[in-house]
Amino acid sequence: MLKIEHLTKHYKGSGKGVTDLSLHIAPGDIYAFIGHNGAGKTTTLKCVAGIQDFDAGTIQIGGKDIRKDPLACKRQFAYIPDNPDLYEYLTGIQYLNFTADIFGVGAREREERIRTYGEAFEITASLGDLISTYSHGMKQKLALLSAFVHQPKLLLLDEPFVGLDPKAAVVLKDIMHSICAGGGAIFFSTHVLDVAEKLCNKVAMIKDGALVACGDMETVVKQGQSLESIFMEVVEHADTD
Amino acid sequence: MLTQIKILTKLELCNLYGRNVFRFSKDRKARKKSLGLLAIWVLLLALLVFYVGGLAYGLICLGLEAVVPAYLITISSVLIFVFGMLKAGGIIFRKEGYDILCALPLSKGAVAISRLLSMYVEELLLALAVLLPGMAVYAWNLRPGVGFYLTGLLGIGSIPLLPMAASICIGVLITGISSRMRHKSLVAAGLSVFAVLGIMYGTSRLSAVEGSIDPKMLKNLSASVMALLGKVYPPAVWLGRAITCGDVLCGLLCAVLSLSVFAAVAAGVALCFPKICQGLYSSAAKHNYQMGRLKASPVLSSLCRREFRRYFSSSVYVTNTIIGPIMGCILSGAMLVAGTEELEKMLPLPLEVGQVAPFVIAGAFCMMTTTATSISLEGKSWWIAKSLPLSAKNILDAKILMNLLLILPFYLLSELFLIFALRPGAGELLWLLLVPAAIILFSCVFGITINLRFPVLEWESEVRIVKQSASAMLGSMGGFLLAILCAVAMGIVPKGYAVSLKALLCAVILAATAALYYKNNRFDLCGRV
Repeated sequence: MLKIEHLTKHYKGSGKGVTDLSLHIAPGDIYAFIGHNGAGKTTTLKCVAGIQDFDAGTIQIGGKDIRKDPLACKRQFAYIPDNPDLYEYLTGIQYLNFTADIFGVGAREREERIRTYGEAFEITASLGDLISTYSHGMKQKLALLSAFVHQPKLLLLDEPFVGLDPKAAVVLKDIMHSICAGGGAIFFSTHVLDVAEKLCNKVAMIKDGALVACGDMETVVKQGQSLESIFMEVVEHADTD
Repeated sequence: MLTQIKILTKLELCNLYGRNVFRFSKDRKARKKSLGLLAIWVLLLALLVFYVGGLAYGLICLGLEAVVPAYLITISSVLIFVFGMLKAGGIIFRKEGYDILCALPLSKGAVAISRLLSMYVEELLLALAVLLPGMAVYAWNLRPGVGFYLTGLLGIGSIPLLPMAASICIGVLITGISSRMRHKSLVAAGLSVFAVLGIMYGTSRLSAVEGSIDPKMLKNLSASVMALLGKVYPPAVWLGRAITCGDVLCGLLCAVLSLSVFAAVAAGVALCFPKICQGLYSSAAKHNYQMGRLKASPVLSSLCRREFRRYFSSSVYVTNTIIGPIMGCILSGAMLVAGTEELEKMLPLPLEVGQVAPFVIAGAFCMMTTTATSISLEGKSWWIAKSLPLSAKNILDAKILMNLLLILPFYLLSELFLIFALRPGAGELLWLLLVPAAIILFSCVFGITINLRFPVLEWESEVRIVKQSASAMLGSMGGFLLAILCAVAMGIVPKGYAVSLKALLCAVILAATAALYYKNNRFDLCGRV
């Protein structure tokens, strides 16, 4: 589903970014991407989403190269950044309609999906209000709804649980499971290691732009240990040079 | 309170003209952009210095040296007043950073005053740019005494105060009224446009009064110019006289008076600041939406609808870009009412109005295009367009289409006036329709070209983008200058070649537009914006 090969992105001036990062995400995977602040998680996700150019490497989504055929790639995924700055001058329903139009979702399908997910996230009553009146959590819910409305094969989420109320977090986890059960894949960054450990079947750890550990959750987290202790151990002792 | 104002003003000014980004950014691209913006400012400043210096020298050569300071003070004051009125609301009641500041142990009045002071610093720079070169030419030629320099120094500092006070009053009034309305941005934009048109009408009435000046006074040109300036802006004449006479006391009195008026206005703003902010920022959410039938639309239509919603959500964007098309209609309407023969008599050059009219009208329409700032105004939401399956062509076409659709009713009205005023034949009618359309189309595409090269996506206030960004200045200049150059060419060329020249100009403009359009559509939005 998603193939990242030797991805390298350095920011001019600071030199920070991502170095030679390779990851493979298969259909059905819920892949957690963890690392400290500034490690390169958001940079990686932005490169995959095609909103940031990179220096070297290749990114393939469903067999298509993000550089050579960006539109074909973008039709397959939905990306939600850590701080979803949405169009504040639109109402929630206008934003969802806009996204559905771009992905060519039919009127009946969009109605059905908005109704289903809107009720699940308890946001339907607010869809007629301007996004500028929404709280951070409501914006996050709306961004998630806009992703689910076109049923992407791949979900790229940057800190998706931040700002969500406990019920919405549970709903999101359920939806993530159902997407993967349907053959989709999810690649998301998080600082909540408990959630990552329970929810994901795969995990990747990044430190200073380089991948320091990745693979099946059961392989990375050995019996009797927690993802938290492994993370501390790996990140503290990893030599990224 | 004073310490708070000092700290907050320092904060407001720390990124004036992007200098903080230039100082501390490690991103070479951001530094390059800041340097590019600085270069544009320096170029504009050099043009202004050249223009003002030449104007002052010309007045001295005509023996009108006594009016130089008053003339320059009037120019800078009018500029400060008009531009200040359009941006005052956006700067003083800026939402960005308001919540963070309000959570700190700071007085809201101090927040308001710090914003006024930052505005003052910007206006002072404008006053300096207008006054200093003119005064230097004056001093070089007339070698005045110490009093001139002392009064001049006092005067320059006080020049922005009165026009700022007036523009702030109007800006706050407009923002205050609109804050009580449901459609705040639209109401604010409507009131601002109304105010600008009112001022333009008032100024034209003042020019009409010129004819009623006592004929005896015309013997003394200097006195009649001073009398006219006195009608436009009396304080300019008082301060101008104080500077030329080196009357420090009079200069001091002008400065104290200006400062008192400004202080009173600032105190008033500080008092009503929290209430207006509350009205502006608290928009009621109804929470009563019920799912109904939804409609699917084609991509371009959906994108264009979004562009319109973006446009009408910002009063400063609407105000600055709608004035041009309104001016175009007023100009063509005036042509219909006054008649072409009357207009030709009023012109200083022997020009045929019918030949240059389409270009002049097009110039008015292109004074400020929406496309020139449309990418920058995406701001922090730009990631959405970049992550959706949209090509550069999809995104840019919607921006151009929105600009053209916005202008269309004004264009049609303006053309209707022109047709009735000029009564052209079939051939002439074609050019009358085609010439402005070609220039407007060029202007829209050129606006996109410029904004793609000078995008600013990190901003605190829309005012910075719509009024002060490089793309706003350069993007608007393209179509306007093109129209003016074409009008000049039409004025010079013999009548027999007029049609051929129009055809040639149209062909060249449309070819250039097509070239820019195709280049824009191949622009790498992810890598370069």
